[in-house]
Amino acid sequence: MTVTQGPAAPQAGPILELDDLGVVFTTESGEVPAVRGVSLHVEPGETLALVGESGSGKSTIAFAAMGLLSGNARTTGSAVIAGTQVVGARESDLAALRGRTASMVFQEPATALDPLTRVGGQIAEVIRNHREMSAKEAAAEAVALLRKVGIPEPEKRATAYPFQLSGGQRQRVVIAMAIANDPALLIADEPTTALDVTVQAEILDLLRRLAAETGTGVLLVTHNMGVVADFADRVAVMYRGEIVETGPVEDVLLRPSHDYTRRLLGAVPRLSVAEAEKAAPAAVTEAPDTEPVAELRDVSVVFGRGRNAVRALDGVSLAVHPGQTLGLVGESGSGKSTASRVALGLIAPTSGTVSLFGTDLGRARSRARRALRAGIGVVLQDPVASLDARMTVGECVAEPLRVHHRGLSARDRRSKVAAILDRVRLPREVADRAPRELSGGQRQRVSLARALVLEPRLLVADEPTSALDVSVQQAVLEVISELQDELGFACLFVSHDLAVVQHFAQRVVVLRGGRIQEQGPTGKTLTHPETDYTRGLLAAVPVPDPVVQRGRRAERLAALAAGRTEVQA
Amino acid sequence: MSTSKYLLRRVLQAVVVIVIVTIVVFGLLHALPGGPARGILGPQATAQQITAFNHEQGLDKPLPVQYFYYLNQLLHGDLGTSYTLNEPVSQLITERLPKTLLLTVLSAVVGLVLAIPLGMWQAMRRNKPADYIITTLSFIAYSTPVYFLGLVLVLVFSQALSWFPSQAPQGDTLAQVFSEPQALVLPVVAGAASMIAVFSRYMRAATLENLSEDYVRTARAGGSRSRAILWRHVFRNSLTPVVAMLGYYVPVLFGGALVVEQLFNYPGMGLLFWTAAQSSDYPVLLGCVLVIAIATVTGTLLADIVQRVIDPRVKAGRA
Amino acid sequence: MSAVIQPGQVPGKATATVTASGARLAARRFRRNRLAVVGLGVVAFFFLFCFVGPLVYSTDQTHTLLQQVNLAPSGSHWLGTDAVGHDVLGRLMYGGKVSLIVGLAAGVLATVIGTLWGAVAGYAGGWIDAVMMRVVDAGIAIPALFILLVVSAITTPDLTGLIVILGFVSWLVPSRLIRAETLSLKNRDYVLTLRAIGGTHARAIIRHILPNSVSTIIVAATFQIADAILLVAYVSYLGLGVQPPSTDWGGMLSAGLTAAYSGYWWLIIPPGLAIILVVWAFNAIGDGLRDAFDVRGRG
Repeated sequence: MTVTQGPAAPQAGPILELDDLGVVFTTESGEVPAVRGVSLHVEPGETLALVGESGSGKSTIAFAAMGLLSGNARTTGSAVIAGTQVVGARESDLAALRGRTASMVFQEPATALDPLTRVGGQIAEVIRNHREMSAKEAAAEAVALLRKVGIPEPEKRATAYPFQLSGGQRQRVVIAMAIANDPALLIADEPTTALDVTVQAEILDLLRRLAAETGTGVLLVTHNMGVVADFADRVAVMYRGEIVETGPVEDVLLRPSHDYTRRLLGAVPRLSVAEAEKAAPAAVTEAPDTEPVAELRDVSVVFGRGRNAVRALDGVSLAVHPGQTLGLVGESGSGKSTASRVALGLIAPTSGTVSLFGTDLGRARSRARRALRAGIGVVLQDPVASLDARMTVGECVAEPLRVHHRGLSARDRRSKVAAILDRVRLPREVADRAPRELSGGQRQRVSLARALVLEPRLLVADEPTSALDVSVQQAVLEVISELQDELGFACLFVSHDLAVVQHFAQRVVVLRGGRIQEQGPTGKTLTHPETDYTRGLLAAVPVPDPVVQRGRRAERLAALAAGRTEVQA
Repeated sequence: MSTSKYLLRRVLQAVVVIVIVTIVVFGLLHALPGGPARGILGPQATAQQITAFNHEQGLDKPLPVQYFYYLNQLLHGDLGTSYTLNEPVSQLITERLPKTLLLTVLSAVVGLVLAIPLGMWQAMRRNKPADYIITTLSFIAYSTPVYFLGLVLVLVFSQALSWFPSQAPQGDTLAQVFSEPQALVLPVVAGAASMIAVFSRYMRAATLENLSEDYVRTARAGGSRSRAILWRHVFRNSLTPVVAMLGYYVPVLFGGALVVEQLFNYPGMGLLFWTAAQSSDYPVLLGCVLVIAIATVTGTLLADIVQRVIDPRVKAGRA
Repeated sequence: MSAVIQPGQVPGKATATVTASGARLAARRFRRNRLAVVGLGVVAFFFLFCFVGPLVYSTDQTHTLLQQVNLAPSGSHWLGTDAVGHDVLGRLMYGGKVSLIVGLAAGVLATVIGTLWGAVAGYAGGWIDAVMMRVVDAGIAIPALFILLVVSAITTPDLTGLIVILGFVSWLVPSRLIRAETLSLKNRDYVLTLRAIGGTHARAIIRHILPNSVSTIIVAATFQIADAILLVAYVSYLGLGVQPPSTDWGGMLSAGLTAAYSGYWWLIIPPGLAIILVVWAFNAIGDGLRDAFDVRGRG
């Protein structure tokens, strides 16, 4: 068993020091400067958060610090880890540094591990890279590390292959590999972005505990302000390759001085947290009992057969009323996307009924079904895959017109397209461009335009903003909200982001493992939830206010200790 | 899914494929001009002789019935009788098949042993002159008709340099074949050339893809060195798609064996097939086709099983 | 293996599409692949050689000319003459026409059949897909050369017949490629969206799946042409070839095989080299196209 040791190289000065660091990428389309004149430092034992949106260069800095940039990158300036210069260093020197003095945790646990090597073996490899140990000793050490990062039954798990572990467990393995040799610096590149919110909270807890125990300095790269509030001591805000603001976390998050920081914080959707003492507000008057626009009644969906059957939905009943937004929330595997696909008629339920505009989809004939579908608009998550890259924007938006209004002349089509593009606040000229030329936010707005061009009565939006930067998210959500007021369509809004759903939906349905945990008016359900699961879900969402977040964290950990909420893998 | 269930499913698929082949073969047998009658009785046969022969052989019954007779025969191991050699086809094949298998397996082994390291080596030197040269040579090897390559090999190494004999071992048994190993060299090289070209490309592509995967970055971040990463991680991950391809390459190997045996006068099944084609000996031709199809399907099945062994994800149905 | 592994050296992957400027991007990437550009040059050269050549350098390819049999290369016959007295250089042009035309036509035919089969199987899915793919498996299980030999035992086809036979022997490989492409395209978000709002299967296939498969189809077709020209070279060797006095490169090779042992190298080296060069060129072009469009597929 290892005796707890201090960091591999105890330092008097900062453990990481970047001085005027610059990175330029050579691509097909020329040279792209990703990082410009960045200087920052991380003291031993402190956590510095590097925040920014996509393209800010934050991940590039993380990789540059470890010398892990791809071959087409040129680094200038200085990056010193525990006294060793990384920029221009020899590969052998870097290899001695990596995994020992400095380690890294990556964003995507699904692909971070070798699929064909057992998990214990991959940890043991990192151990034996830097310490003289027999294979058996390293294997035992690997098991100890797995235990340290909170994986149950570590002896058994050590012989598992990555695909047999969940996302959260895989990330724990990556963390185990990172702390294996007690590094002085831990660089975490969006370590929880790909994980569910409850798992995210656990991983952050783990990282914080490990860093505190060993006095490791942490460089945390993230775009999530809530995570920053939860974990960091100091913050550096990045925009377009440069640092625009640095400071202690409370200063930057509560009293931002730079314009961009203010804008960024303003765009973050805030989860309204109920004060502990306040009682539940009086029951909100429910919408009149109008005919629902879309309804699932006791729907079950089973994929596969026999032993491998997966119950994606189990006895789900929900309804979307005219003009209302119903939020469908849940973690991965909850079935929320399946439910939206069932509502769209893309997946036939194994049992139960699906009705659109009052008509049972299962009983309707195909022509009738197709006519019904003219009343639906769809916006999906991935801005790139949502639009056929071979069509112009105008053609994409006009497609529903071609499907349902075939008699329309080209001129009428074009004017309708222009009108809807106006509505989603895009310039009319965009109609002649290719999707490739647009940004993610613009593409989602084109998707929205396509969804609304037939003036549907129901908009189904499946994670419409999850792939967008925070500032862009806000703009797109505003557009949807405005258009809903103008055009009066109902909306089925699927999301994993509770804060967004809270602002957007009148009613919310919480799904878990294919079953409805609870549902009700958003104001009530998301501030005074009835089930422990929903409570746990809400408690796990970090808010971008460090003071408040500290309190929430304490509450959450207390609740966990008391066994009131549940622990995911 | 469990191994036994998986095997059962694959075997069933294989059976379906073979049944389709028997239908095709049976169809060809009966689509041939004049049918078997003319083949056996000769072009001088009179109409009466043909009718009598057909009736005797049961060739005037409805086709589905004949197909079942045919299947029945097959299941008893009866592939008919050669028109020209007057021996049962199954016997001919049993004599010749092992020799062809020897040649194909040797070519495959030599091909893979050379191709896999070569492909990896190329991937490490992507776009450098060495990569371009080997790529060009691979393409050229792939673009050369096997009989031309064989001919050039014979002209250079046999006639000009006298290093290897120009004929493959002529023995009847495997033991006799092995007694003349130097005579196997040129045939194996000719047979393996195309395979080396194709599989080194596959390995190069698979290695390149794996080199840019995230887990390589994780290993580097842990301090692992390039060589260790290559052999411990990238190599095994790159093998999986290559093994998958192997199953589909088996028929190409047999096709190559056909030409190689004819060129080097190697008394295997390929040469048997060739001579049968010259004399329109349909039972032999079609019997060989059936056997080759079975061999190919078996080869693909074996490749699948190897894949399951190398890659635990395949076993869990989550490749 | 001392080179350092550099992750991410595969250049930024663009989407495998050919829009207006996408085509320009692809063309630029193609031009960067020197082997592919050389291949293009070789193909252009041989087309000129075979179709324009005889107009410039005409020789007698039909009559037997006993007085100039088996002459070695010289000033008047740059590549010598063959066993029937024909000038080999002229014969190379003459035979090349057949090799190229048959190869191109058979390659395109194989791609067309394979695309239709694969697209239907991939889009339909379920048991239709399973059955169609078992048929493909059965076809692959029998080596093409074996089938061709059997055919040669039955009949000697004319040029069109030859094209058809070669096409039917080769459509299996592209069908699997196109099926895989169709499967992946079928589940793209924009197709799902189309289906959700009531678009028909026909519209999904014609407007989205086929246009987005174009790059894969073009690459497959190029490799098929290469394979077909190679296969044509085997055809005469197997006894299926065109009848004299007509010939193709494979026919020239087969005819000159026995003579080669006696040292008449000019009878086999020119046609052999021609086959190798043209097949190599199409393979190089296919490789370049595949990289330019960033398509997955044949190694």
